[in-house]
Amino acid sequence: MGGKITCTLGEVKNRADFIIYWGGNPAECHPRHFSKYTLTPKGKFVPEGRKGRTMVLVDIRETPSAKAADIFLQIRPGKDFEVATTLRALVKKQPVDPALVAETGLSVERLQDIVDRMKRARFGVIFFGMGVSMTRGKHMNSGAILSLTAEMNAFTKFVCMPMRGHGNVTGADVVLRWTTGYPFGVDLSRGYPRFNPGEFSTVDLLVRGDNDAALILGADPGATMPQPGIDHLARIPTIVLDPKVTHTSRLARVHITTAVTGVSAPGTSYRMDEIPLPLRPALKSPYPTDEEVIRRIRHAVAAKPAWTPAPSRMMAIA
Amino acid sequence: MLRVTGGTVYDPANGVDGLVQDLYIANGRIVDASAIADGARTIDATGMIVMPGGVDVHTHVAGGALNFARGLVPENQRAARKFLHRGDRRAGLGGMTPTTFATGYLYAGMGWTTVNEAAVPVLSARHTHEELHDIPLVDKTSLVLMANNEFVLDLLEAGEAERARHVVSWLVWAAKGYGIKAVNPGGVEAWKWGKNANTLHAPIEGYKTVTPAMIIEGLATIADDLQLPHPVHLHCNNLGVPGNFATTIETMNVLQGHRAHLAHLQFHAYGGDDWTTMRSESARVAEAFTANPTLTADAGAVLFGDAVTITADGPWQHLLYQLTGRKWGNLDVENETGCGIVPYVYKDRNLVNAVQWAVGLELLLLIDDPWRIFLTTDHPNGGCFWRYPEIIHMLMNAEFRREQVQQLPEKARQRIVLADLDREYTLSEVAIITSAGPARSLGLSRKGHLGVGADADITIYPSRPDHGFLFSYPRYVIKGGAIVVEEGDVREVVDGKEFIVRPACDERIEDYIRPLFEKVYTMSFANYPVEIERLRNPEVVVPEP
Repeated sequence: MGGKITCTLGEVKNRADFIIYWGGNPAECHPRHFSKYTLTPKGKFVPEGRKGRTMVLVDIRETPSAKAADIFLQIRPGKDFEVATTLRALVKKQPVDPALVAETGLSVERLQDIVDRMKRARFGVIFFGMGVSMTRGKHMNSGAILSLTAEMNAFTKFVCMPMRGHGNVTGADVVLRWTTGYPFGVDLSRGYPRFNPGEFSTVDLLVRGDNDAALILGADPGATMPQPGIDHLARIPTIVLDPKVTHTSRLARVHITTAVTGVSAPGTSYRMDEIPLPLRPALKSPYPTDEEVIRRIRHAVAAKPAWTPAPSRMMAIA
Repeated sequence: MLRVTGGTVYDPANGVDGLVQDLYIANGRIVDASAIADGARTIDATGMIVMPGGVDVHTHVAGGALNFARGLVPENQRAARKFLHRGDRRAGLGGMTPTTFATGYLYAGMGWTTVNEAAVPVLSARHTHEELHDIPLVDKTSLVLMANNEFVLDLLEAGEAERARHVVSWLVWAAKGYGIKAVNPGGVEAWKWGKNANTLHAPIEGYKTVTPAMIIEGLATIADDLQLPHPVHLHCNNLGVPGNFATTIETMNVLQGHRAHLAHLQFHAYGGDDWTTMRSESARVAEAFTANPTLTADAGAVLFGDAVTITADGPWQHLLYQLTGRKWGNLDVENETGCGIVPYVYKDRNLVNAVQWAVGLELLLLIDDPWRIFLTTDHPNGGCFWRYPEIIHMLMNAEFRREQVQQLPEKARQRIVLADLDREYTLSEVAIITSAGPARSLGLSRKGHLGVGADADITIYPSRPDHGFLFSYPRYVIKGGAIVVEEGDVREVVDGKEFIVRPACDERIEDYIRPLFEKVYTMSFANYPVEIERLRNPEVVVPEP
């Protein structure tokens, strides 16, 4: 059970004839996705371009992305897990209860039609967004879609990919994995990496008020975190590195203005398929890069004497 | 400057087999005694064993696939050995898919000082080099995945051998790689439609004339023509499948006369028709291999216990997922290759696993010439590299081996020949399969020996009666002249360098590649080749044409 069956975006462009977007609104949130990778490009093995591809959108409401879809499946909120699990059952020709399926807002016939199309596809792909991963069921929803994809490979080629966004979040994930072994939610306070989402993830630390300082880089939690987390950031010494004024920088004690990566600072950005792209700055900036600021802070910290009290002083305190 | 005095030196490349000799080190190299001033630091190695630092010819320590695996198995990482942040030593985790910094500490801690990352797609090579840079204490090379690259396959289909050579040459330099890797030639390309390539002489999925044999022969020829320091590094078709020894022997026939390195030979030496009749065919594979003197191989030995299988062989991993019902990761890379990941446990009560365990050791014992077969576990596929000392112990001790065989199920014992093999490795032979041999195969002239001019990568082991296990705990490890490990503990952290190859190439080939690239890829052509500035400590090797 579990795992991830995926590919780089060029594989989708060159081969995919059946594309499912689930719990996302790429037309507005990833506006170049259709034209660069999935729908309109003429691929090596899909020379007809858009005509050679079928697109399905699964969502709880009719977003602008529905206009691009050949088939729109509107499901009831919070029923992603049930829909994915029903599809898994139908793929394996297991009996399903029509009454239970009806609670998802779809009929068995409708889903059977999707399964038939999935099996007929030469190369299928499921892109799933935060409507799947951040609603009721969370990682269980993603898990069901990942399993559906894996199991489809007994019939035809099928892959899936989370629709990641938020700047270079994939890059942060990639670097954390090779340096600490874990993708996020890493705690280094014992001197080695520990991983526990829900305990060490940023939102949980902030909401519980566990941390007594914060250094924030390339993110604006002041705009997106739950209010208790934002309140905590305002309470503690918060340092923000950002090219511009943000919700977080307004409540921070220190805001260091940095150059804009990709515009006036070089770097590397990872696509959602974990392919690294070099960033070449077009402009010069009077501000330092994030990397330079962090390096200088690190050197300054390293130059300080160790925080542990000397043995003689400990004796005196005792 | 440094002196190592009184040690018993095993330097097989220079014909030194257990002589008491002194070594002199200056500017990171081994030098003549006259180049050393009085007062230089001296390590008294009296009674100790001195060998060139280990060289791993086939391992997976960095890159998109391994990093994918790290994210896939957090439960393994939690159980892994912890590395605490201390001084200039970074925090990290050991285990089956160690973090980059820990990888360096673990390799050097065991006495290995050079590693070859064996599978790099050009598209994510930039990422691989970032990770390689973060592996301290060892020098590195990396091999570029070619045998399922559609540019190359299309040219083979069109019969344009010369242009194919230029494209391969361009790709090696674009990836800042060291050589050519071929994984399941044609099979990974077929996997992109959910198929595989099981026979060497049938056209592969999507092509009219290109067969796996053509790809193998084509890439071997190109590697020879380009005079690459390391020949084509081949992961044969039908990895892991019962009865695959026939494919392996047929591959050797296809390669006749060419240089080639056969990776993880253990996974390619099985008889039988299915999982219940699987047996060892190591004797026949060893015989065919010995008869083809232009080939080298590494063992890809299996050890019982946890492993994570990571390979570009996508279709095999789908099969393994269906067999295990465990997690499965798959990552196809546009135009170039694929990759699959399945966590796995080798169990001594399992017939198939017991045969696999025996086959790795049998090949190491049956192939008489230690200069042609090298110690690997195809880390982390057959077991982790930090378990190499366990294998060395078994190679050096026939009695211990037989005791291990006795623990296996009766059914498995009938299908292996390990118990009949009396050979015991000498220390000199161990130095060959762990260092001198792989260095020679990789064409790294300053590695794997202790002659004047060699890089001062030296491992000094305490001498103990149970020779095998001493390899897990060196007394000193010297890397590029710096004493980096003492008493098995990392004392100083130095960066390793990366060896990269710039083969001869007609620059105009870029005009051929660019339009094709723009059609099938999804990034700008200017962003495709890795800039040399990205590598922080490169050493460029230019082959003589």
